[in-house]
Amino acid sequence: MDFEGRDLISMNDLSREEIDAILTKVPEVKNHPNKRNLCKNKVCALLFFEPSTRTRTSFEVAMRNLGGVVGGFYDASITSVVKEESLWDTVKMHDGYGFHVMVIRHPLKGAARLAADAAQSPVINAGDGPNQHPTQTLLDLYSIQETQDRIDGLTVAMVGDLANGRTVHSLTEALLKYQSCRLIFVSPRDLAMPRFIIDKCIKAGPKTGLSITEGSRIEDHISEIDILYMTRTQKERLKERTAAEKFRSIYRLEANMLKDAKFTMKVMHPLPRVTEIAQDVDSTPHAYYFQQARNGLFVRETLLALILGAVK
Amino acid sequence: MTQRTITIAKIQKGIVIDHIPAGKAYLIAQVLGLNVLARETGDIIAIGINFESPSMNRKDIIKVENLGLTRDMLNVVALIAPMATITRIEDGRVIEKHKVEIPDTVGDVVLCPDAFCITNHEQVPCRFAVVEKKPLTLKCYYCETEFFGPLVKYKEKS
Repeated sequence: MDFEGRDLISMNDLSREEIDAILTKVPEVKNHPNKRNLCKNKVCALLFFEPSTRTRTSFEVAMRNLGGVVGGFYDASITSVVKEESLWDTVKMHDGYGFHVMVIRHPLKGAARLAADAAQSPVINAGDGPNQHPTQTLLDLYSIQETQDRIDGLTVAMVGDLANGRTVHSLTEALLKYQSCRLIFVSPRDLAMPRFIIDKCIKAGPKTGLSITEGSRIEDHISEIDILYMTRTQKERLKERTAAEKFRSIYRLEANMLKDAKFTMKVMHPLPRVTEIAQDVDSTPHAYYFQQARNGLFVRETLLALILGAVK
Repeated sequence: MTQRTITIAKIQKGIVIDHIPAGKAYLIAQVLGLNVLARETGDIIAIGINFESPSMNRKDIIKVENLGLTRDMLNVVALIAPMATITRIEDGRVIEKHKVEIPDTVGDVVLCPDAFCITNHEQVPCRFAVVEKKPLTLKCYYCETEFFGPLVKYKEKS
């Protein structure tokens, strides 16, 4: 399967076979004997219009680990964007500098697709508002597979702000491509999974054996879950700050809530966490969020190596 | 009760969009930008509203003189009036008659309803995939939002 020169904008653009092919490549790139030279003389643009810690740092380190270099900006307020330069123009201009690949994060939905249309070089979406964050989804899928040895047939619970969290939207749509998964959506009614995603799940059901349950308490499902995917309340996307405070106190995972969990159950979180996972969970064998974040580095190395044609 | 007979004058050359649900003709004219086109060319556009129809009880009808409307443009009519028929007229005679078809993709005639979509913040022509024809459900090419019903709002060219 050839990924050289391809954009990565949405999980909807990838088939299950393509996802599996990427996940299979991760250990190969991670342990590649010539890793430091895989992307030598390649330059990656990081166009970050919105703050990011993990995604930006891991892309930067990934590119360095492959022998390449990065350029671009991490704060749109110091660029011509404040002079009202359009996204199209910003991308066109960077494209002209000869970057071999561009990684973009932007607060608006669809910005990455527009960037991909503007650019000649391949574009990787590092998050477009509450829409897609495909590299996060791929690292989530990789972590799920790493801990459970499979993705088909798993019970995955997603908890918290399911209305605004792009990671859970992307992950849900990716799991629709697998067989016989059970998805449990736990959220306050105001922050429930968007209707159009629920409808997709219902539609996929007869073909893939996928089933969904919507609930409001983590404890009700804890013993059935293989992957407990916690999310942060997206305070910056909520109109009322007070609502965020209210939800935080309700959807908080503590170690004592895990006593009925399967031995193999893993707690994942795209990070940053605020209050939704108590620190006492960190020392349980279920905590996996820091390994998950580390996997982000390996998955992004793999994606860069594939898109830059360094591995096939 | 006596039947009122009202007709719109025949055109020698142009297009007749018939079997439009009552009350939708003006919207179709706005979306197709007929007003703008006619202003440029001076051709006649006749819009009939609430005509009696044996099959629809009441219907609207649009007659467009001269203007060449492409099949893609006319398929936009299908989004608003799925049962509409298109008749092409030349030298006062019908040369082609067909039903409109809902296209697989829709161009810059619909607005994305998502306030956080890039198309609502930058000068970007909208693009949509038709994911369901009944009810008409569109998916934004950029933000991937799927929507239907009253959320399908048309760009009206004045």
